[in-house]
Order: sequence, then structure tokens, then C-alpha cells
Amino acid sequence: MKTQAVSSPHRPGASSDFDAVAAKPYGLRGRLREGLTINPQTVKQWRRFRSIKRGYYSAVALVVALVLSAGAELLVNGRALIVSYDGELYFPTYGDIIPGDTFGLDYEYETDYRDLKARFEAQDRGNWVLMPPVPYGPLENDLTPGYFPPYAPSFETGHYLGTDQTGRDVLARLIYGFRIAFAFAFLLLLCNYLIGIAVGCAMGFWGGVFDLLFQRVIEIWNMVPSLYVIMIVASIVIPNFWTLAVVMVIFGWTQMTWNMRTSTYKEKTREYVLAARALGASNTRQIASHVIPNTISVIVSFIPFSIAGGIFLLTALDYLGFGLPPPTPSWGELLAQGQNHIVTAPWIILSVGIAISIVLIMVNYIGEAVREAFDPKKHAYFE
Amino acid sequence: MDYPARAIVAFAVAVLLTAGCGNETTIYLDLGTVLEPYAPPETAVELPPIEVRDGDGLPDTLPEDLVWVTNEEDPLFASPDAKRGGTFRTSILGFPLTLRRVGPDSNGSFAGFLRPNQFGPIALHPVTRRAIPALATHWAFGEDGRSIYYRLNPKARWSDGVPVTADDFVFAVQFMRAKEIVAPWYNNYYVERIRDLKRYDDHTYGVQGANAMPGAEMHASYGVGPQPRHFHVLNADWVANTNWQIEPNTGPYQITKVRKGKYIEMTRKADWWGDDVKYFKHRFNPDKIRVRVIRDPNVAFQYFLKGNLDTMDLVLPQYWHDKATGTAFDRGYIAKYWFYNEQPAASGMYLNMADPILADKRVRFGIAHSMNFDHVISTVLRNDYERLSTFQIGFGEYDNLDIKPREFDLDKADRYFDDAGFETRGGDGIRINDAGERLSFQVTYGWPQHTDRLVVLQEDARKAGLELVLDLKDGPGSFKKMLEKKHQIAWSGWAAGGLAPGYWEHFHSVNANKTQTNNITNHVNPAMDPLIMQYRSSTSLGERVRLARILEQMVHDSGVVVPTFRVPYTRAGAWRWVKLPEWLAPPTSASMFSAFANTGGFSGGGLFWIDLEEKERTLEAKSDGESFGPTTIVNTTYRVQPAS
Repeated sequence: MKTQAVSSPHRPGASSDFDAVAAKPYGLRGRLREGLTINPQTVKQWRRFRSIKRGYYSAVALVVALVLSAGAELLVNGRALIVSYDGELYFPTYGDIIPGDTFGLDYEYETDYRDLKARFEAQDRGNWVLMPPVPYGPLENDLTPGYFPPYAPSFETGHYLGTDQTGRDVLARLIYGFRIAFAFAFLLLLCNYLIGIAVGCAMGFWGGVFDLLFQRVIEIWNMVPSLYVIMIVASIVIPNFWTLAVVMVIFGWTQMTWNMRTSTYKEKTREYVLAARALGASNTRQIASHVIPNTISVIVSFIPFSIAGGIFLLTALDYLGFGLPPPTPSWGELLAQGQNHIVTAPWIILSVGIAISIVLIMVNYIGEAVREAFDPKKHAYFE
Repeated sequence: MDYPARAIVAFAVAVLLTAGCGNETTIYLDLGTVLEPYAPPETAVELPPIEVRDGDGLPDTLPEDLVWVTNEEDPLFASPDAKRGGTFRTSILGFPLTLRRVGPDSNGSFAGFLRPNQFGPIALHPVTRRAIPALATHWAFGEDGRSIYYRLNPKARWSDGVPVTADDFVFAVQFMRAKEIVAPWYNNYYVERIRDLKRYDDHTYGVQGANAMPGAEMHASYGVGPQPRHFHVLNADWVANTNWQIEPNTGPYQITKVRKGKYIEMTRKADWWGDDVKYFKHRFNPDKIRVRVIRDPNVAFQYFLKGNLDTMDLVLPQYWHDKATGTAFDRGYIAKYWFYNEQPAASGMYLNMADPILADKRVRFGIAHSMNFDHVISTVLRNDYERLSTFQIGFGEYDNLDIKPREFDLDKADRYFDDAGFETRGGDGIRINDAGERLSFQVTYGWPQHTDRLVVLQEDARKAGLELVLDLKDGPGSFKKMLEKKHQIAWSGWAAGGLAPGYWEHFHSVNANKTQTNNITNHVNPAMDPLIMQYRSSTSLGERVRLARILEQMVHDSGVVVPTFRVPYTRAGAWRWVKLPEWLAPPTSASMFSAFANTGGFSGGGLFWIDLEEKERTLEAKSDGESFGPTTIVNTTYRVQPAS
């Protein structure tokens, strides 16, 4: 491995690519035939990433949080996990609502499971309800007439972080808000990068008039104030997850183009690309198999920061009131509430403030670690 | 626009304004100086004489048989204990874009300081609601039922000492009809509603309106205010020329200092003509009023707590109950006042009859019975607000108090929805009809702070199988959608001013199914139209009251309006040195600490005074940590028991 590093100090991926061509059957199928071996370069980057402790542990924590929030309905929900009624088991968590009359209650709307649990316990006829650890959904108003929300955190009521100003559980809204923010950020990332990389590569690869033209187009496009566009969109339709994402992608893809354009310019003049071209590789093949794999470090090291940006963007829009429509759980909306109740209900601003800080710090730690792990300069040293 | 965004825009505008003004950021004006003309008088356009249509017009000579009346017998409502002096410090959220009283950008919140400080011929007594003298000492009604004659107080003066004469009123109509002021609404009003105004001598003039009305309402609608004829140079540049001009007025205060972007200071006229007028005695007490720009209500509240503002509005439950607490309140440095008033109220959910599903009355009734307003009031609104019983209320005799609002009742909602064909519930618990349509409606609204109320209603409505989709827009955006009739349910309210409820604009079929009218329910009821027209043209108070109550009942029966809440009070905090009369305010007052007249045309403002000795005592006590004991005064004299 050491020799490789010496032979191509500035091209982290290039040397291994050539090795792969020379030493092993090329392509995924070939690798599978060989048994799944991982590119030694990748192994090295992974080791390096793991050695940066705070980045690694942040990544682990974030992945765990994401996995848990994906199943948030099982952990934080006003619907019961299991109801045993007259010998029959019900699993209300997912799917249609179960009306109250199913369990012998006198109403047709969705069962109030906390109330049902209390009833079953009082009746003591062998019926039982298993509630999730946090027995409140993100949209439920847990209000007691005569007592005025926001209610303070309490273990007794199950509002571990208290409620907001309409009696909704802060923890539930935090967790569901986290899931939505991440989903939004990932979606944004995927679309922005797909468009940004494609356009940026094309600009760098073809250069000339095409490049000049697109540079101007992007410069002009960047001048459009996206906040106003969102306000205009919001005045025509009720903004939802998808419309917001589309608008943000329309104005967000340009960022990636500049980086891809410069990287492509750099890579396309390298010998291996010239060689590929001399061998008769098509443009598509040159870009897809040679240029992009060698700019991967640029792309990967931007990802965590883009995610942080996506989360921050949605939070800011929600805070300003141009984001997802109420009553969607959202951090920005909690932040706005917290600001209003900063003295009277500090738990709101503390909960959401700490949550945002932790997540953004973790994402940035991961970003630093990834950048470090992919930094080509490090590979130039003999180890 | 949402508040922070609005603040940002306001801030940017303020920065641009202050940056653009260079050294001229401060304007001073000495009281009593004659104002220099702001443009060469010869550049003024020649205003045409007041044009009168056929069938309109006042007699050429003053009718002989007029019965001149005045009003000196109504009770006084200011406190004889009031002392003159001191500076009253208050705040607004943004610096005004202009100091003009009309024209572009003149409708901002500073208009609340400019317009009430410009007195008209008469005022309305804030308790008896009858006319009382202001610029005019006497008035008389013409026999056509739509004209009034006024006799002016010869002592009345503009700020610069020039007498107010009948010519200023003639000029006012010409001025308001002129295109140069760029005020289409006024242009239209002074052509369509004000049909003629004629000068008889220096202190006598008559005005004629479009249609007959009872006396007090005629004063309110046709009581044209004067414009300073000697001051204005009306030409194509008028709007730009007058943007920062301090206009002479007839009220007790005059702007004397303007620091752009920072504050505006007004000074009490020492020899104001109105000091001799019966109903203005003991009023308008502070020597100075300083209106400071503080762009965030939370920051303004901190200024108040520090004693840098004298009073603070505490209408919102959160402010009254949570924020207005602590040492300054416990020790009585700041007193809290809660005054139940008689303000017109009209807020509700307005269901659009043009929507195919909402066209069914049973659906509308079902919706009304699915709304759990009591739950909202007893939790997020802290039992402060009350349920509004009908479309509009607060007009005294006109109110129909027999109407009870449709209550939250799931059984009734069930029955209505079942009858309307929404018998089955989908997997999400929302009803569907045979055509597969869901019982789901968009609720369009424009105040982010109302989301609290709506999410509680939304959750309770789900129990009835009704889905409300919240459509929050910025304020102007939501109103635009409603006026274009693109909404399903509009969550809104009307600034119900005036002395009598209005039905024509909200419910007459000529206003239905067309954009930019106030009939946002697209309400059509052929039986109601003739009654509305009869109500509009009737001059007998008894007849109008009878018709108004019938019309209100018809609105209730149609179910197009689900009345929401009313705020039957005003609340404020004030430092100990700001004194109020024992009775706090007259019933029609929108605010206890309004410095001039009040909204809705009633002259009930300017009752408070600043006690400078008390101020010294309070500040001493504050620095010594001494306590006066908490002071909270609740006045329920004018409280109407909530309907339920």
C-alpha cells in the first residue's frame, strides 16, 4: 500500500482504480465472484474516521437516534402498543383508527387509550392496555379545563419535557420533528446533489460556451430571493413537505455545481482520463467511471454540512411561519413558542434549544471527521 | 407576513429611511409659529367647486325653520381631580412612513395618534352615545332627512392660530375629492356618500349625505372634518411634499419634534380653544406625549418593566397572567387595570356557501356543533375570552340577545352530518359520503397566534368525524384569499365600527359570488334582501332596531357564520404615577390610556393624568425596596353576562 501512496500522492482513488483493473476482475459482479472485498483505500478512510473519536461516536449516536425515530410510533404515541380486550389482542399503533365502541366505549371516534387504560385498571376484568414509554402523540392536546398550558415537565403525567402552549407533549413534538427535519434534509441532499453533480460535471467536462452559459445562468438564478418565492408559494397553496422540498431544491442545487465544476476540470486533464479517452471510452463512461469516483471525497465531505444546512433551513422557515403548516410537529415552531415563553415556560426553549445544538454539533463533528478521513493530504505521508 | 419577518422588513425600511435622510433626521417645530408653505402657493392646482348631482344639493340660503340644538346636559366623564403636566411615554412597533393624515402609507398605526387629534364638528358622548359639541357649538337637521347644518365655535383655531371657518370644510370636500391626494377610498367616499357641502357664513355650513339615517349615525357618517385651507398647496407633488410636513390640527396636541426612526414628541397646546368646551375639561392632561419606536413587543415590555414606558397593553392572557408578574407588580409600583367595555365584536368562522358541500345547511349546522369553543376558552384562553353568541354584537339596543350560539354537541353534529349523507367514517376517522367525498375543509386564517385556538378545535372536531386543515397565511394574504372568495372556511373578524350593525355588505345577494366584497360567506337569501334594504333606508331608530334583530336571527338560522370569541374588555398595566378616574373609562372606550379621542368615533380618551409627586414617591420607594401592596383593579360595571 505504501508504494501506491507514493505513486499517486494527489489522487486518492485513481491508483486503486488502476490496481483494481490490473489485479482483479473489474466491476461489481467481478468483486462478488471474488468474495466481497472492500477497496483498501476505503478501509483506510474508515479506520481514519473511526480514529477520530468525537466524529465516530456522533455518527453512532445519530444513526441510533435515526433508527429509533423511524420507529417513533412504537415509543412515543397516544395510541397503545397492545390492547387486550375480552381475550382478543389489538395492535392499534399502525393503520386505521380503532373507534371507541370497539372496546365498549360510547363513542365512534378514535379511542382515548390513556383513558381506556385507566378504565380497564379500575374494572379489573383481565383487560389490559400496554402504552408506549411516552404515552402522547405529537398532535394531541392534553388539556385540563381550568389549568392553563404550557404545563411544566412532570413524571406523574408522562410529560417528561412538559407541554407547549396548547398542551402538546414537547418530547413527542421534538422526536417527530427530528424525523421530519432529517427526512427533509436527506431528500434535499439527494435532489440537490443529483442535479448539482450532473450539471457541475457537465460544465467542467465540456467547458467552453456551455460552461460560460451555465455559469451566468447559475449566477442569475442565485440572485432570486428564495424566501420571497416561498412566501409567494405559501400564499397560493398550503405548503407541505413536498412543495417546500421542491422549492428548496429549485434554489438549492446551484451550490454543488461550483465544486463539481472545478473538480471535474482538474480531473479530466489527468492521465487516466486521457487514457480512457484514448481507449475510446464514451463521455458518459469517462464521467461516470473515472471523473466522479475520483471526486467522491469532495462530495462526501460536503454531505454532513449539507444535512446540517437542510435541518437549519427547515427550522428557520418554520420559525418564521413559512414552513410546514400547523399542526405539523417542528423544531422551528417550538423555537418560536419557546421564545414567547422564555420566562414563563423555559422548558420549551431549553428542550428544543439543546436538541438543535446537540444535533447540529454532532453533524458537524461527523463532517469534520469525514473531511479528515477523506483528506488526500493525509495519505501522502508514509505510515 | 409573520411577525419576525415583518419586523425585519420594517427594520430594513427604517434603515433605508434614516440612511436616506442624512442630517435632516430631526424636525423641530415651535408651538404657535406660523408654518412656512412647503411649496410655492402659485403652483397649486385650481380645485373645482363642489359638484352636485341632480336631485342632490343644499338650499342656497340657510333655511329659516331649522331647529338648532346643542348638548350641554349629558354627564361629565373626566375626573375633576386630574392634574396637568408631565410627559406620557408610550411606544409603537414601527416608525410611521408619513406624517400625513391621508394619502399613501397614511393608514399605519401612527394614524391612531394623528387622526383622533384632529377634531371634527361634533363628537359622540362616550356614555350616552349622543352628539356633543366640538368644533361646532350647535347643529340642526335638514328636512330631507339626510342633511345637517353646523354652527362653528368662533374660538376654534388651527395649531398656528388661524381660525377654523366654514371655508375649511368646503375645502375639505374639494381636497378629499382631488386626485392629487392619491387616496381612492376617500375620493370615492366624498363623491358617493358626501353629496354636498355649502358655506352660509364664516361659521355656518351645511352638509348633505347620500341617504337618510337617524341623527347620531348621520353625524358619524357625514360629519366631515375640516382641512387647513391656508396650509395646503395641492399639486402633483403633494404626496411627496407633505410626507414629513407637520400639519396644523384642531386637537389638543401638536407634533413638536420628530426624530426619524426613533421617536415623535407632541406638546399640549397651552391656550387650546377646546379648554373652554364643557366635555373637554379635565382631559388631555400630560404636557408632552412621546411616542417611541420599539420594534418588538417583548422588548417594549422590558422597557415598561424598567419604567421607561408609562403604560402597557395587557389584553393578551399570556401578558396579563404570566408576564405582568414580579416585584414591580407585587409592590404596587405598577398597577393592573381590567376594564370591561362595550365594544362591537364580530369574529367568527365564515363558511363559504359557494362550496358545494358547505352549500348544505345541515353540514354548516354540523360544523357549528363540532366546535368546542368552551374547551379553548377554559384552557389556552384562560377563561378570559367569552363565546360570541352571534355574528355581531356590541351595538347597544341593536343587539339581539335572544340568540344562543350552537353548542359543542357530538350527538347533534352526528345527526346533521348523517342527514347530509356523511354517514360512514374512513380509516382515519373522518366521515365520507356516498360520492367518496371527505368531510374535510380548509380553514384560512392570518394570525399565527391563533394557531393555538385552532389546533384545539381541530382535535375536538375529529371526534365528530370532521377534518379541519389549517391554512395559515400572512395577514394580507389571508384576507386577499377571503375577498377573492377562494376559501372554504374563513377564520376572521370584522373591525365592527359605527353605531349600528351592517348587513348589506355582509349578507346581501348583490355582494355574493363576486370578488372584493365583504360578503365572504357568499350568502344568498332572497327573503333577506328586501329586509336589508328596508333596514338601510329607514330613519326611525325603533324600526331599525326591530329589523336588525330580525336580520341577526336570519343570519343565525342560515348557519353561515359560526361565531367564535369576543374580548369583552381592555386591560393594561400602568406605573403608579399614571392616574385614572375612579370609573377607569367610559363604556365605549377601546383603551383606558388612549391620549386623545377613541376608536369608533366616541370621544372618551385623554382621561388619565401624570401625578409628578406620586412619581417621585414611587421612584423613591422603588429604590428603597418599599412596598405599596399589589394593585389590581377590575371594573365589571359594563360586563354583559356571557351567553351560553
